[in-house]
Amino acid sequence: MKHILTLAKWELTRLRVRFSGQSKYIVLAVVLLAVGISYLIYHQGLVFSRGFYVVGVSPEGPVITDKRFTVIRADRETGYALLQTKAIDLYIDGGRAVSQGRRGQYAAGALRKYLEKQEVARIAQEYEMGQAFPLRVEIRYLESLAAEPVEIRLPETGPTGPPEPAAPPVVTPALVPGQTLTVVPAPVTPNSGNVVVTPAATSTTDAAVKAQLDRREGPRPLRFEAEFVSENDVIIPSLSEPPIPLSQVIIALLYIVPIFFVSIFFTSTFTEEKLSRKVIVLLSAPVTRLQVILGKMLPYLVYAVLTIIIITLALRGNILLGLAIFIPVALFIFAIYLMVALTYRTFKDETFFSVLALSAIVVYLVTPAMLTGVSDLSYISPLTLAVEMFRGASFNINQYFLATAPLYLVFALVLYTGNRLLNEEFLTGYRPLHAKVAEALYLIVARKHPGLSIPLLTIALMPAVFMVQLASIVFVTNLPESIALRAVIVVSAVVEEVAKSAGVAVLVQRNVVRSMKGVTALSALSALGFFAGEKLLLFLALSVVSESMFMQAVFGAGLLVAPLVMHVVTTVIVGLLTARLGTRYYAVAIVAGTLIHVFYNLYVIGALR
Amino acid sequence: MSRYFVLLSKELRAITREKTIMFAVLVQFFIASFSSVIMVGLMTFYDPVSLGESARLSVTVGFVGDMQSPMLDYLRERNLPVRPYNDLAAAEAAFHSGSIDTIMVVPRSESGTVDMKLVLPTADTRKTIILLVLNEPLKKFENYLRQANGIELKYKDMGGRPNTTYEFLYSLIIPILMFFPAIIAGSIVIDTISEEFENKTFDTLLAAPVTPGQVFAAKISAATSSAAIQVALWAGLLRLNGHIIQSLVVVLALAVLIAALIATGAAGIALYFKDRERAQFVYSIALIIAAGLGYFLDPSPFSAATNLAAGVPGTEPLKVLFYLIPLLVIWFALRKALKPMLVR
Repeated sequence: MKHILTLAKWELTRLRVRFSGQSKYIVLAVVLLAVGISYLIYHQGLVFSRGFYVVGVSPEGPVITDKRFTVIRADRETGYALLQTKAIDLYIDGGRAVSQGRRGQYAAGALRKYLEKQEVARIAQEYEMGQAFPLRVEIRYLESLAAEPVEIRLPETGPTGPPEPAAPPVVTPALVPGQTLTVVPAPVTPNSGNVVVTPAATSTTDAAVKAQLDRREGPRPLRFEAEFVSENDVIIPSLSEPPIPLSQVIIALLYIVPIFFVSIFFTSTFTEEKLSRKVIVLLSAPVTRLQVILGKMLPYLVYAVLTIIIITLALRGNILLGLAIFIPVALFIFAIYLMVALTYRTFKDETFFSVLALSAIVVYLVTPAMLTGVSDLSYISPLTLAVEMFRGASFNINQYFLATAPLYLVFALVLYTGNRLLNEEFLTGYRPLHAKVAEALYLIVARKHPGLSIPLLTIALMPAVFMVQLASIVFVTNLPESIALRAVIVVSAVVEEVAKSAGVAVLVQRNVVRSMKGVTALSALSALGFFAGEKLLLFLALSVVSESMFMQAVFGAGLLVAPLVMHVVTTVIVGLLTARLGTRYYAVAIVAGTLIHVFYNLYVIGALR
Repeated sequence: MSRYFVLLSKELRAITREKTIMFAVLVQFFIASFSSVIMVGLMTFYDPVSLGESARLSVTVGFVGDMQSPMLDYLRERNLPVRPYNDLAAAEAAFHSGSIDTIMVVPRSESGTVDMKLVLPTADTRKTIILLVLNEPLKKFENYLRQANGIELKYKDMGGRPNTTYEFLYSLIIPILMFFPAIIAGSIVIDTISEEFENKTFDTLLAAPVTPGQVFAAKISAATSSAAIQVALWAGLLRLNGHIIQSLVVVLALAVLIAALIATGAAGIALYFKDRERAQFVYSIALIIAAGLGYFLDPSPFSAATNLAAGVPGTEPLKVLFYLIPLLVIWFALRKALKPMLVR
């Protein structure tokens, strides 16, 4: 620990020297300016698409204050003339909208939503609550046995036709009119998570209306404010907001952005060591390589933790919860940047690896979180937990583990890898990327006991494999169903085959194993390790994500012997082909293994039967 | 001038050799797939009401209570299958077995308000979708009850079509795609310049018969042209996907102009700090400042791209040329700062 602190102090000294003299003030001024401008914009409320629609409004028409609309007051004659010359998208003639072209249609759609809100606000002011909001829908949750999710067909992005006529409604006159109803609270299964059933009395619905009205007070189009409110159990149709977590996701991102800004310093500390060859001195000092990594990381981790605490305090959230959610995220980000710092070769490489890493991390975190409350798959991202936190909703321990366990595991894996890679030869060598990766794998594997280290490597790669697969599931949810399923199967097969065989391939390349028998045995062991890890993760994942058929396709839930045999067979094939053809043709071997893997998976889900 | 072109082609070769463009495309693929997730998936969730209206969703409603209620008509108008039940117990049994998706309990109401009860499944996905589908009929019923109370909502029948996808595409996705390459261009410029300083190759370069201005100009234009290629590519891909950018030439010109502006500014930062670490850090912060200042301009680069691409009436394409002014100012300041290096 003492060594780590010393190294951390060095790192701080390095930064202080970097920013000594005049540059300190310039950087300070720049940061302050950036903060000031951000605050100013935040204060104004960020509006995208200012003046996006140009509308003409007749003198008796509505008042439009939404900044998306440029409003031109015009009498009927001028209005229609403007419409003719396409100087406006739409003309509001009294209570009627006359539009032209596609843009006009969109403008009308936007205006309708806006005016509806205004109208609701107006009647809320003018009338009593009971008159203005006469319908209250009290929600009660029940377990249903229906396994099939409601069928969703996403609408085309282009023009949407009229809805297809569904089956004729089945109505049988069965109820005696005027019958009194008694609502029996149904038993709720104890493990149903965040569901709260409150058989509310009638009088409480007025309070619900008031609460929802209060929340709507003050129009703020895209104010980045966390909403620490609980999900409403009483719905007022015209006040119910769509379950869009956009602003909450953006707030959650606020936690991460400051970490990205300092990442340049973290990666640069390794660059400097590399360029100045100081790394040789450092490694000959009586400190372990892990201490070097942790020491260099410590100041930035402290900074990240402080940022998390400050932001949580500013949002008046629960600090412990905030730390529980965002510390794994910070660890994960530093893990990725550590790999970037250790593998890149030139400045340009570093920039692009960094930007790539940044985009990948943001995509991985943000995309699923956007589906918060819509799909259980969203729990693969810790930001979903943050969104739930902002909403005052709860999440259970399984969901927390699904979201954060891969991040913790990736961090641990990267620390171990970094420990192995932090040597002079690896850091300063210039080789193509795949050679660098192969070298890294070679350094990670303990060459003396390949029988143990290969399966361990495969297990260690599991979290990364799992993350790639889950991410691919989220991406393909947007493809047409038939292609989506196949795409997931192919992608996950490739990823798995690579993960299982990479260690063996590296040992083959370095002539650590030569005999076909040895390759077969190692491949089989690797497959076994993979299988064990997979079952463990599956157990965790299925407890949260139960609805997705993709999960079944990828992980072949329920079967035991058959998938084990499949994993062993494909890995052995890849291993033997690699040994036979040489590592140059590793890709060919992977394709062969993948093909068998894909056919097996298609067979299991019944696509071939 | 010919020396400038020699340098330019050297820089361009460096960019392609380093597989920089490949990485850039890879990075943007991530951004694009991110946007496409938002575009197709989130769009519908971003605007769930329109999902409820236009998607072909079907939810079977178990109905208990007032069979005279107009709610029934609204459900049928939405083409939702309705099954009536005598009492809640029977409906719950059907709900448990999965033959209905939701139970709606509508009491007969004497006064003006109706306290309806809605039974939803616990699964997150299904309950959200059911609520989305029921949203429109519920609103109609609410308006019916309001009318009974003597309240009339105005502007109910404006028509139009769901606007969210359209707004999202033009006010967010297209500007991001048009300006992201510019940000990368700035980063490239910082790398190539600070690399020359840190490896002390800049002096060697000046031993050749070129001026520092030419070296910088070549580096800036190489990065800018990489951005130009990328935005053109994006415009083509968007076109293939059926998203048309109006006044394409002006939009591309704007994107390239902004890329040149950012790249020149980045060159200034790199020249001042001379090391990559500080330069990249200050550059990333300066981008925030630039974006913030741009936001207060009228039109901001962002909304200029939006308005031109979407063909907003009254947009003046020539206003794009305004960005030439800061570009020239920064360039001449940079030239002036570079002068002393030549004398030495």
